Amino acid sequence: MSNATTKKGRKTDSRWFRWRFHLSGLLMLIPLVLAPFYIELMSVFGGASGLGARHIGTQAAGPWQITLAEQFEQAPKLDGPAGYMKTFNAALCQTCAEQVKAVYLRLGKPRSLRTAGVIGFGSPYHMSFSMPVPENTALDAELWLTLEGWDGSLQQVQWPLRQASPATIEFLQQQQEL
Amino acid sequence: MYKASLRRTALVALSGVWSSLALAHFPFVECHQGTVDIVCQGGFSDGSSAQGITVDLISYDEEIIASKTFNDASSVEFAPYDGEFYILLDAGPGHTVEVDWNEIKAP
Repeated sequence: MSNATTKKGRKTDSRWFRWRFHLSGLLMLIPLVLAPFYIELMSVFGGASGLGARHIGTQAAGPWQITLAEQFEQAPKLDGPAGYMKTFNAALCQTCAEQVKAVYLRLGKPRSLRTAGVIGFGSPYHMSFSMPVPENTALDAELWLTLEGWDGSLQQVQWPLRQASPATIEFLQQQQEL
Repeated sequence: MYKASLRRTALVALSGVWSSLALAHFPFVECHQGTVDIVCQGGFSDGSSAQGITVDLISYDEEIIASKTFNDASSVEFAPYDGEFYILLDAGPGHTVEVDWNEIKAP
Protein backbone atom coordinates (compact mmCIF):
# COMPACT_ATOMS: atom_id res chain seq x y z
CA MET A 1 0.00 0.00 0.00
CA SER A 2 2.70 2.38 1.00
CA ASN A 3 4.80 1.40 -2.08
CA ALA A 4 1.96 2.17 -4.38
CA THR A 5 1.58 5.59 -2.81
CA THR A 6 5.31 6.32 -3.23
CA LYS A 7 5.30 5.31 -6.88
CA LYS A 8 2.33 7.52 -7.52
CA GLY A 9 4.14 10.42 -5.87
CA ARG A 10 7.12 10.11 -8.31
CA LYS A 11 5.08 11.25 -11.27
CA THR A 12 6.00 8.22 -13.33
CA ASP A 13 4.12 9.65 -16.27
CA SER A 14 6.73 12.40 -16.63
CA ARG A 15 8.69 12.17 -19.90
CA TRP A 16 11.88 13.25 -18.10
CA PHE A 17 11.50 10.46 -15.54
CA ARG A 18 11.10 7.86 -18.25
CA TRP A 19 14.01 9.04 -20.40
CA ARG A 20 16.62 10.04 -17.84
CA PHE A 21 17.74 6.43 -17.49
CA HIS A 22 18.38 6.25 -21.23
CA LEU A 23 20.17 9.60 -21.18
CA SER A 24 22.51 8.40 -18.45
CA GLY A 25 23.22 5.39 -20.63
CA LEU A 26 24.30 7.81 -23.38
CA LEU A 27 27.03 9.18 -21.07
CA MET A 28 28.75 5.84 -21.48
CA LEU A 29 29.31 6.77 -25.12
CA ILE A 30 31.65 9.65 -24.14
CA PRO A 31 34.63 7.42 -23.27
CA LEU A 32 33.89 5.32 -26.32
CA VAL A 33 34.10 8.41 -28.56
CA LEU A 34 37.27 9.69 -26.86
CA ALA A 35 39.03 6.31 -26.63
CA PRO A 36 40.62 6.43 -30.14
CA PHE A 37 42.06 9.91 -29.43
CA TYR A 38 43.31 8.75 -26.04
CA ILE A 39 44.97 5.68 -27.57
CA GLU A 40 46.56 7.86 -30.28
CA LEU A 41 47.85 10.28 -27.64
CA MET A 42 49.28 7.47 -25.52
CA SER A 43 51.07 6.12 -28.60
CA VAL A 44 52.73 9.55 -29.02
CA PHE A 45 53.87 9.58 -25.38
CA GLY A 46 54.98 5.95 -25.47
CA GLY A 47 56.73 6.22 -28.85
CA ALA A 48 54.56 3.66 -30.65
CA SER A 49 53.76 6.22 -33.36
CA GLY A 50 57.33 7.52 -33.67
CA LEU A 51 59.52 9.91 -31.75
CA GLY A 52 57.11 12.82 -32.08
CA ALA A 53 54.61 14.50 -34.35
CA ARG A 54 57.40 16.17 -36.36
CA HIS A 55 60.82 14.64 -36.96
CA ILE A 56 63.54 17.34 -36.89
CA GLY A 57 66.65 15.39 -37.77
CA THR A 58 69.65 13.39 -36.62
CA GLN A 59 73.09 14.77 -35.80
CA ALA A 60 76.40 13.31 -34.77
CA ALA A 61 77.58 14.47 -31.34
CA GLY A 62 81.20 13.36 -31.23
CA PRO A 63 81.12 9.55 -31.20
CA TRP A 64 77.35 9.53 -30.55
CA GLN A 65 74.24 10.23 -32.59
CA ILE A 66 71.04 11.88 -31.47
CA THR A 67 67.66 12.30 -33.16
CA LEU A 68 65.29 15.11 -32.23
CA ALA A 69 61.55 15.53 -32.77
CA GLU A 70 58.80 17.91 -31.74
CA GLN A 71 56.29 16.08 -29.56
CA PHE A 72 53.45 18.09 -31.09
CA GLU A 73 53.52 20.72 -33.83
CA GLN A 74 52.20 23.30 -31.42
CA ALA A 75 53.20 26.57 -29.84
CA PRO A 76 54.66 26.45 -26.30
CA LYS A 77 52.10 26.09 -23.51
CA LEU A 78 51.86 28.36 -20.48
CA ASP A 79 52.84 26.55 -17.27
CA GLY A 80 51.90 29.03 -14.56
CA PRO A 81 54.69 31.22 -13.18
CA ALA A 82 57.35 29.09 -14.90
CA GLY A 83 56.29 30.62 -18.22
CA TYR A 84 55.84 28.99 -21.61
CA MET A 85 57.08 25.43 -22.07
CA LYS A 86 57.74 23.46 -25.24
CA THR A 87 58.21 19.68 -25.40
CA PHE A 88 60.77 17.95 -27.59
CA ASN A 89 61.67 14.26 -27.73
CA ALA A 90 65.06 12.76 -28.48
CA ALA A 91 66.53 9.33 -29.11
CA LEU A 92 70.10 8.13 -28.78
CA CYS A 93 71.61 5.61 -31.18
CA GLN A 94 71.55 1.97 -30.06
CA THR A 95 75.31 1.72 -29.68
CA CYS A 96 75.62 4.92 -27.65
CA ALA A 97 72.61 4.58 -25.34
CA GLU A 98 74.66 2.90 -22.64
CA GLN A 99 77.53 5.38 -22.91
CA VAL A 100 75.47 8.54 -22.38
CA LYS A 101 74.59 9.41 -18.80
CA ALA A 102 72.30 12.37 -19.44
CA VAL A 103 71.11 14.70 -22.19
CA TYR A 104 70.22 18.34 -21.56
CA LEU A 105 68.36 20.81 -23.78
CA ARG A 106 68.11 24.58 -23.69
CA LEU A 107 67.77 27.64 -25.86
CA GLY A 108 71.13 29.32 -26.39
CA LYS A 109 74.63 28.21 -25.53
CA PRO A 110 75.01 26.91 -21.95
CA ARG A 111 77.50 28.72 -19.71
CA SER A 112 78.42 25.47 -17.90
CA LEU A 113 77.16 21.94 -17.29
CA ARG A 114 75.11 23.28 -14.38
CA THR A 115 73.25 25.53 -16.80
CA ALA A 116 72.98 22.97 -19.61
CA GLY A 117 69.20 23.17 -19.50
CA VAL A 118 66.39 20.74 -18.83
CA ILE A 119 67.26 17.06 -18.50
CA GLY A 120 65.76 14.39 -20.74
CA PHE A 121 63.43 11.96 -18.98
CA GLY A 122 62.58 8.45 -20.08
CA SER A 123 64.22 5.70 -22.07
CA PRO A 124 67.38 6.59 -24.08
CA TYR A 125 65.32 5.84 -27.20
CA HIS A 126 62.49 8.19 -26.23
CA MET A 127 63.64 10.97 -23.92
CA SER A 128 61.30 13.85 -23.27
CA PHE A 129 62.33 17.46 -22.60
CA SER A 130 60.01 20.20 -21.39
CA MET A 131 61.96 23.33 -22.13
CA PRO A 132 61.12 26.89 -21.05
CA VAL A 133 60.72 29.36 -23.92
CA PRO A 134 61.03 32.99 -22.76
CA GLU A 135 58.72 35.29 -24.72
CA ASN A 136 61.66 37.53 -25.67
CA THR A 137 63.63 34.67 -27.26
CA ALA A 138 65.41 35.84 -30.42
CA LEU A 139 63.96 34.40 -33.61
CA ASP A 140 67.43 33.23 -34.67
CA ALA A 141 68.01 31.37 -31.37
CA GLU A 142 69.41 27.87 -31.41
CA LEU A 143 68.52 24.73 -29.48
CA TRP A 144 71.60 23.37 -27.71
CA LEU A 145 71.72 19.71 -26.76
CA THR A 146 74.46 18.71 -24.32
CA LEU A 147 75.30 15.01 -24.02
CA GLU A 148 77.15 13.93 -20.89
CA GLY A 149 78.93 10.57 -21.02
CA TRP A 150 79.49 8.21 -18.12
CA ASP A 151 83.22 8.86 -18.66
CA GLY A 152 82.62 12.58 -17.98
CA SER A 153 82.99 13.66 -21.60
CA LEU A 154 80.65 16.30 -23.02
CA GLN A 155 79.39 16.66 -26.59
CA GLN A 156 77.12 19.39 -27.93
CA VAL A 157 74.94 19.78 -31.01
CA GLN A 158 72.71 22.64 -32.10
CA TRP A 159 69.60 23.10 -34.19
CA PRO A 160 68.25 26.49 -35.26
CA LEU A 161 64.93 26.99 -33.48
CA ARG A 162 63.43 28.00 -36.84
CA GLN A 163 64.22 24.52 -38.13
CA ALA A 164 63.38 22.69 -34.91
CA SER A 165 59.96 24.25 -34.32
CA PRO A 166 58.31 26.57 -36.85
CA ALA A 167 55.26 26.63 -34.55
CA THR A 168 57.41 28.13 -31.76
CA ILE A 169 58.84 30.76 -34.14
CA GLU A 170 55.29 31.71 -35.16
CA PHE A 171 54.33 31.93 -31.48
CA LEU A 172 57.36 34.15 -30.69
CA GLN A 173 56.58 36.44 -33.63
CA GLN A 174 53.04 36.89 -32.31
CA GLN A 175 54.27 37.54 -28.74
CA GLN A 176 56.87 40.06 -29.87
CA GLU A 177 54.41 41.95 -32.09
CA LEU A 178 52.19 42.61 -29.09
CA MET B 1 37.40 18.19 -42.92
CA TYR B 2 35.07 18.08 -39.90
CA LYS B 3 36.61 14.81 -38.74
CA ALA B 4 40.15 16.24 -39.00
CA SER B 5 39.10 19.31 -37.03
CA LEU B 6 37.45 17.16 -34.33
CA ARG B 7 40.54 14.93 -34.14
CA ARG B 8 42.86 17.92 -33.73
CA THR B 9 40.66 19.50 -31.06
CA ALA B 10 40.44 16.28 -29.06
CA LEU B 11 44.21 15.67 -29.28
CA VAL B 12 45.02 19.22 -28.22
CA ALA B 13 42.58 19.02 -25.30
CA LEU B 14 43.89 15.66 -24.12
CA SER B 15 47.53 16.66 -24.57
CA GLY B 16 46.82 19.79 -22.56
CA VAL B 17 45.56 17.69 -19.68
CA TRP B 18 48.42 15.21 -19.76
CA SER B 19 51.20 17.69 -20.44
CA SER B 20 50.06 19.88 -17.56
CA LEU B 21 50.34 16.83 -15.31
CA ALA B 22 53.79 16.05 -16.66
CA LEU B 23 55.00 19.62 -16.24
CA ALA B 24 53.58 20.03 -12.82
CA HIS B 25 56.67 21.30 -11.07
CA PHE B 26 59.03 23.34 -13.18
CA PRO B 27 61.18 25.73 -11.13
CA PHE B 28 61.07 29.50 -11.57
CA VAL B 29 62.80 32.47 -10.00
CA GLU B 30 62.06 36.19 -10.27
CA CYS B 31 64.42 38.86 -9.00
CA HIS B 32 64.01 42.56 -8.35
CA GLN B 33 66.21 45.25 -6.95
CA GLY B 34 65.26 45.94 -3.33
CA THR B 35 66.21 49.05 -1.40
CA VAL B 36 69.79 47.81 -1.24
CA ASP B 37 69.89 44.09 -1.91
CA ILE B 38 68.71 42.02 -4.84
CA VAL B 39 65.62 40.08 -3.75
CA CYS B 40 64.67 36.84 -5.49
CA GLN B 41 61.50 34.83 -5.12
CA GLY B 42 61.66 31.20 -6.17
CA GLY B 43 59.26 28.32 -6.41
CA PHE B 44 57.75 25.68 -8.60
CA SER B 45 54.97 25.99 -11.13
CA ASP B 46 52.72 23.71 -9.06
CA GLY B 47 52.81 26.30 -6.27
CA SER B 48 55.28 24.48 -4.04
CA SER B 49 58.01 26.36 -2.18
CA ALA B 50 61.70 26.48 -3.05
CA GLN B 51 62.69 26.56 0.63
CA GLY B 52 66.12 25.03 1.17
CA ILE B 53 67.03 24.98 -2.52
CA THR B 54 70.44 26.33 -3.52
CA VAL B 55 70.61 29.67 -5.31
CA ASP B 56 73.95 31.12 -6.39
CA LEU B 57 75.10 34.49 -7.64
CA ILE B 58 77.73 33.71 -10.27
CA SER B 59 79.92 36.12 -12.20
CA TYR B 60 80.26 35.84 -15.98
CA ASP B 61 83.71 34.26 -15.50
CA GLU B 62 81.98 31.43 -13.56
CA GLU B 63 83.16 32.45 -10.09
CA ILE B 64 80.52 31.81 -7.40
CA ILE B 65 80.22 35.17 -5.63
CA ALA B 66 77.54 34.10 -3.13
CA SER B 67 75.82 30.78 -2.46
CA LYS B 68 72.60 30.76 -0.45
CA THR B 69 69.39 28.79 -0.01
CA PHE B 70 65.82 30.02 -0.24
CA ASN B 71 64.36 30.85 3.17
CA ASP B 72 61.01 29.70 4.56
CA ALA B 73 59.28 32.44 2.59
CA SER B 74 60.88 30.96 -0.57
CA SER B 75 62.93 34.11 -1.10
CA VAL B 76 66.59 35.06 -0.88
CA GLU B 77 68.59 38.30 -0.81
CA PHE B 78 71.95 39.03 -2.35
CA ALA B 79 74.22 41.98 -1.70
CA PRO B 80 74.73 44.07 -4.85
CA TYR B 81 77.55 42.89 -7.07
CA ASP B 82 79.48 45.30 -9.23
CA GLY B 83 79.89 43.50 -12.53
CA GLU B 84 78.10 41.18 -14.92
CA PHE B 85 76.55 38.17 -13.24
CA TYR B 86 73.63 35.76 -13.22
CA ILE B 87 71.58 34.19 -10.45
CA LEU B 88 71.08 30.44 -10.67
CA LEU B 89 68.40 28.41 -8.92
CA ASP B 90 69.81 24.88 -8.76
CA ALA B 91 67.28 22.24 -7.75
CA GLY B 92 69.44 19.44 -9.19
CA PRO B 93 70.73 18.42 -12.61
CA GLY B 94 68.35 19.61 -15.31
CA HIS B 95 66.28 21.59 -12.80
CA THR B 96 67.93 24.98 -13.00
CA VAL B 97 66.73 28.48 -13.81
CA GLU B 98 68.91 31.48 -14.58
CA VAL B 99 68.21 35.16 -14.15
CA ASP B 100 70.68 37.41 -15.91
CA TRP B 101 71.74 40.66 -14.20
CA ASN B 102 69.94 42.70 -16.86
CA GLU B 103 66.70 40.77 -16.24
CA ILE B 104 66.51 41.94 -12.61
CA LYS B 105 63.48 44.17 -12.32
CA ALA B 106 63.94 47.75 -11.19
CA PRO B 107 62.50 48.69 -7.75
